[in-house]
Amino acid sequence: MSGSRFTNHQELGIGIGLRVPHYQHILEKKPVVDWFEIISENYMVDAGRPLHVLDQILEQYRVVQHGVSMYFGNADRPNREHLKKLKSLTKRTKTPWLSDHLCWGSVDGTYSHDLLPMPYTWEAVESTARNIKEVQDFLELPVAVENLSSYAEFTSSEMNEWQFLSEVVERADCGILLDVNNIYVSSQNHSFDPMDYLRGVPHHRVAQIHIAGHTRHATHILDTHDHPVCDPVWKLYAEAIQRCGMTATLLEWDDRIPSFEDVHREALKAERFIPQALEKAA
Amino acid sequence: MNEVATYPPDSLKDFQRLMLNAVRRPLTADESMQPKWNDGRPTQEVASAFIRPNDRMTAFDRLEVYNQQYWWRLTASLQEDFRGLHAVIGDEAFDRLVVAYLEEHPSRSWTLRNLGSQLPSFVEAHPEFVRPHFNLAIDVARMEWARVVAFDDPAWPELDASQLATRAAENKPLALQPYVQLLTVQHPVDKLMLRLKKRDQLMASNTASSAHRKHSRPMTAARLVRPLHLVVHRINFMLYYKRLAPEAMLLLRALQEGKSIEAACSLAFEKSKARPKQQAAKIQEWFSSWMQLGWFCECPPSDDATSA
Repeated sequence: MSGSRFTNHQELGIGIGLRVPHYQHILEKKPVVDWFEIISENYMVDAGRPLHVLDQILEQYRVVQHGVSMYFGNADRPNREHLKKLKSLTKRTKTPWLSDHLCWGSVDGTYSHDLLPMPYTWEAVESTARNIKEVQDFLELPVAVENLSSYAEFTSSEMNEWQFLSEVVERADCGILLDVNNIYVSSQNHSFDPMDYLRGVPHHRVAQIHIAGHTRHATHILDTHDHPVCDPVWKLYAEAIQRCGMTATLLEWDDRIPSFEDVHREALKAERFIPQALEKAA
Repeated sequence: MNEVATYPPDSLKDFQRLMLNAVRRPLTADESMQPKWNDGRPTQEVASAFIRPNDRMTAFDRLEVYNQQYWWRLTASLQEDFRGLHAVIGDEAFDRLVVAYLEEHPSRSWTLRNLGSQLPSFVEAHPEFVRPHFNLAIDVARMEWARVVAFDDPAWPELDASQLATRAAENKPLALQPYVQLLTVQHPVDKLMLRLKKRDQLMASNTASSAHRKHSRPMTAARLVRPLHLVVHRINFMLYYKRLAPEAMLLLRALQEGKSIEAACSLAFEKSKARPKQQAAKIQEWFSSWMQLGWFCECPPSDDATSA
């Protein structure tokens, strides 16, 4: 397990997403969990129960922040008020790094509240990298950008998704949150080989890996985070850690959330793949 | 938002304007994407100008995924924050209200927490969406937005008895905690919210379809003879409702407007027939109770202050 400048030189193992239905269990039973990922926006409030619970979690556990509304890919510059609130939260959590998605979500101050896919153009590479740098400088923390599950491709794209991701992170000099479920979902929706994606990204920049479940429809797969991780995604995970080395790994489960024990058990399945993958890598 | 003149769009910003415009267009009655674009052309034609099809989905199909997700996500968010309003006006009226509201007030905040901030005033300005429950709908919408604010607005350092006495002696204004929400309504919405909570608990514990049908009828509440004065507040991170006498509400409103304690007390009893001694006893009782509840605080610091 190796920390890098993209993780603030911290080494984390297997964690799970902190979710409201598990609050009581975690606070009462204090289960052994290496770390929790929080959705930053749920705690970017002035007061109330969410912050009270977070403070208790912080007394016991390491926490990493993950965001859903920074929208690095917006043509507009990052929202300063949003950044101030986010920075205030990072001081509270002492998150070693911070992640959000390689997507856009608002324009001219109107918000979609969705993670909308980018057109893979050089103009978008430049503006996205500019925004990531601005956020990274303001927060004074390493930023990792997460690849998206997407359901549309755009006529204006000038490169494929992993080339776009690589160009952005190199220009912004930031880390990657590699979501192997998202790679799988997008590979099915856009008919590419997910191994090409894995081979195509700069492995030394991968700060964290996400694993999750999804829902298969007749014509496409939706990234729903409401199922266990499927076998093809575990295979991608094994391949990813073989290429990136042991990396902080996080299971996301956001809908139809089962018991804490079930979620944690699913996350710990990742341990099975580690020795084999590291052996191969060696 | 600016309309994009060219398809496909020339710049990233124009692309994002076009896509968001498409995503925000209301769904049809069967929750599909509208087949016609704003200018009457087939939506498929516009979608094809900037979205690639694949072997399973047309450009229209792919855009529709995002169009549906937008409406389902935002409607679900408003349903969660305005469960009472939804229960009063019913499914279909609530869906129509949400579409009209979001067309007039698209989200201007990065957080869904603020999505419903304009809904009470929108309901007030548009009775056509909530008839025949207009008056109750307004009261419930106000109550539910007050709950959102009371849940997580800041709590500043509380004033103790001696600080309160000093303020009174110096005839200075008193600040109320931002999370203390004052409401005057025409219906017993506090009891309605408690009934709603019980109904939801029952529905969650009883999956029998007959029970579901029985309890998913619209909720009603009779109009009161006199207005009801309520405070929505929190204690130990839980929401509470407190009923107030009319004079107590006048006093708190006057304090909230920045009047001095003396001026607020005079205003509260301006039309009261209570004798001065009774008034003084009431004021003492109220202040004691409100101070114990932690409602009085130092004046909130400026915007750049850290959270409580």
